[in-house]
Amino acid sequence: MSIVEIEGLTFSFSRKEIPIINNFSFSMEKGEVVGILGQSGSGKSTLLRLISGLEMPMKGTIKIAGTTVVSEGVFIHPEERGVGMVFQDYALFPHMTVKDNILFGLSRLPRKQRKSRVDEMLELVQMESFEKRYPHELSGGQQQRIALARALAPKPNILLMDEPFSNLDADLKESIREELGLILKKADMTCIMVTHDRKDVEAICDYSIVVGQSNVPNDLNGDKIHTMK
Amino acid sequence: MKAELLKRKVKKEFNGWWTISLFGAVVILLPILFIFSSIFQEPNENWFHIRQYLLGNYVANTIILVVLTGVFTSFLGVTLAWLIAAYDFPLKRFFRWGLMLPLAIPTFIAVYTYRTMLGYTGVVQTTLRNHFDYQLKAEWLTISGISGAVFIFTLFLFPYVYMITRAFLESQSTSYIENARLLGRKPLAVFYKVVLPLSRPAIVGGTVLVIYEVLGDYGVTSYLGIHTISTAIFQTWFRMYDVNSAMRLAAWLMVIIAGVFFLEKLLRQRRRYHLSNKSRPLVPVKLRGMAGIAAFLYCGIVFLLGFLIPFVQLIAWAKLTFHKVWDASFFTLFYQTVYVALISTLLILILSVVVANVCRSHSSFSFMISKCVTLGYSIPGPIIAIGVLAVFISLDKWLAPIYSSVGLGEAPLILSLSLVMLIVGYFIRFMATGFNAIEVGFEKVGTKYTEASRMLGLGVTKTFLKVDLPLIKGSLISGFIVTFVEICKELPLALLLRPFNFETLATKTYQYANDEQIHEASISSLLIIAISILSVIIFQMIGKRGKQ
Repeated sequence: MSIVEIEGLTFSFSRKEIPIINNFSFSMEKGEVVGILGQSGSGKSTLLRLISGLEMPMKGTIKIAGTTVVSEGVFIHPEERGVGMVFQDYALFPHMTVKDNILFGLSRLPRKQRKSRVDEMLELVQMESFEKRYPHELSGGQQQRIALARALAPKPNILLMDEPFSNLDADLKESIREELGLILKKADMTCIMVTHDRKDVEAICDYSIVVGQSNVPNDLNGDKIHTMK
Repeated sequence: MKAELLKRKVKKEFNGWWTISLFGAVVILLPILFIFSSIFQEPNENWFHIRQYLLGNYVANTIILVVLTGVFTSFLGVTLAWLIAAYDFPLKRFFRWGLMLPLAIPTFIAVYTYRTMLGYTGVVQTTLRNHFDYQLKAEWLTISGISGAVFIFTLFLFPYVYMITRAFLESQSTSYIENARLLGRKPLAVFYKVVLPLSRPAIVGGTVLVIYEVLGDYGVTSYLGIHTISTAIFQTWFRMYDVNSAMRLAAWLMVIIAGVFFLEKLLRQRRRYHLSNKSRPLVPVKLRGMAGIAAFLYCGIVFLLGFLIPFVQLIAWAKLTFHKVWDASFFTLFYQTVYVALISTLLILILSVVVANVCRSHSSFSFMISKCVTLGYSIPGPIIAIGVLAVFISLDKWLAPIYSSVGLGEAPLILSLSLVMLIVGYFIRFMATGFNAIEVGFEKVGTKYTEASRMLGLGVTKTFLKVDLPLIKGSLISGFIVTFVEICKELPLALLLRPFNFETLATKTYQYANDEQIHEASISSLLIIAISILSVIIFQMIGKRGKQ
């Protein structure tokens, strides 16, 4: 069964503007890691925001794990979609420790299980000794790993990552890329990753969608899926 | 199909937050709509007289006052905010909070203090005559006319601009400023090219508050004999006993204000003022030698004129009349003032937070709501008073059957004789004060943390309590202080809407000053100032703890 099914998705920031995403259709299977490549302003991040429910499309349907989360007359709020997201600048809550950041998304879990889930996540990203630190006390790479742990903790159906390496330096990027690939595989996570760097896709993704390369530069189209591996 | 899309949109946007915002907007709009309805009534003879012979002069004076005060307060507020935020110089830490203190002195107290102090029998001229045998020309020091009013408004209202701009500058990322410096720009160019445009929302927010203070003023302008639209409204109401024409004047003033307000907001909405993602506090640059002394003198002179000199003068007068005025009834006055201000401030902040949170969606509906709830600040107090009174009398009429069924008699005036009316008046008038501070806080935080929280499974309300609220705490505290102090100082609404036998410190001060008992007015004036100073100290303490 497809974990994400998108049908005829169209989005524009205002009615007067040309749609940034036009009649886009796409589906992916459980456990796949898909990269979305494209230049700035091509609609990559907007696609993630539409899947997560932070934006509402003009037209089209999105199904996640068999449930329609948006269509004509249907809108499921972001918090009810079971989608995890790692933001470009991580958005770790500055007033909470690492532990509290990860605990944040576990409110639906029985209290007793929360602590063990936090430990599990910290172990997964190899940050066990950092649970009492605040985000500003972490390096860029460490912040990224905590953001990943936080997003994975509630066991989402799908993980969305918006330019996860854009804030890291080149050396760190190499090692984190490898680590991220391993963590995703270990967690058996379905993931869509937006990036503008082809190397990211080659290292982590099963295949990619290239956007913004057709005659209509800002159109996303399901036909432009290129298998990378 | 359209119905389906609408249903989906409602599902996405509509929640309890919207309902509360809508309710708040209706409460604020009702009295205002009542005033607007006067436009459609048949005008009387007085109105033709006012329009033909007086209106031009009123409008001209109002515009001159607003423009001059706006320019001077912006200049003073922004330059002081930049000095304090970006530089280190002698006593800078003291001035950082000391420059907020002029706001503690209401303008109607400041004007009688300065005028009496600088007058022929005041301390300045008396000292020059008696100790230096020097006779000063009367016009040199007299506080009178438009220049006198602008002097008072500027000195005592600039902290609005200073506080909001300083908070904005201190907490924003330094990367823009550092970048500008690295690109070879000198400090002055950095200020004009980077700091000013970036701080525009804060500067505009503060200046708009100052302008509405000036537009709603009665104390200073009436004391100095300047005819503005607000004094005209008072005169039409109290001297001509023509409420209809007074409301008509107010309605047209509101049309002008609303037009300017919408235009400014529209222009501001087109440009976004994003801050850089990683916010580091601004590291102050040490000013050495003459530059340090100049900065110290600039802040020192403003502090002396805007706070210390009038404050000391009031203390001197208070010593003369203390035994006569200070008794048990003064404690009641103090308690009543704090009580009514506290309830009103809390109500204002709760609605401000709700509406500002709704407005983060940047939809046209939220834009309309934000404009509705902040309209009250632009409306002179007496006009809000008459609007509120009319609504409450209608409410009492409407509730009369319920009153009689619970044994309160036939058609009594319950609500319109209660303190609720004054609280609603304050609520309408000062909603903008709280809202603006919180809106700036939300703008600063952005939406990324809220979105992250939603993605982690928390709804709008839980996200607000766990994420937004701790992050906007600073803005909430400044909003609380500014609103609380404003209400403690407020005069016209308290005079007109207070229940029988209910006095506040401001009404008592006005009563004394109006009776030419300037010295007697000093004690209640000092108490108002004390409340304000206490708020500033608490603000400082909480701020420090927050930083730690």
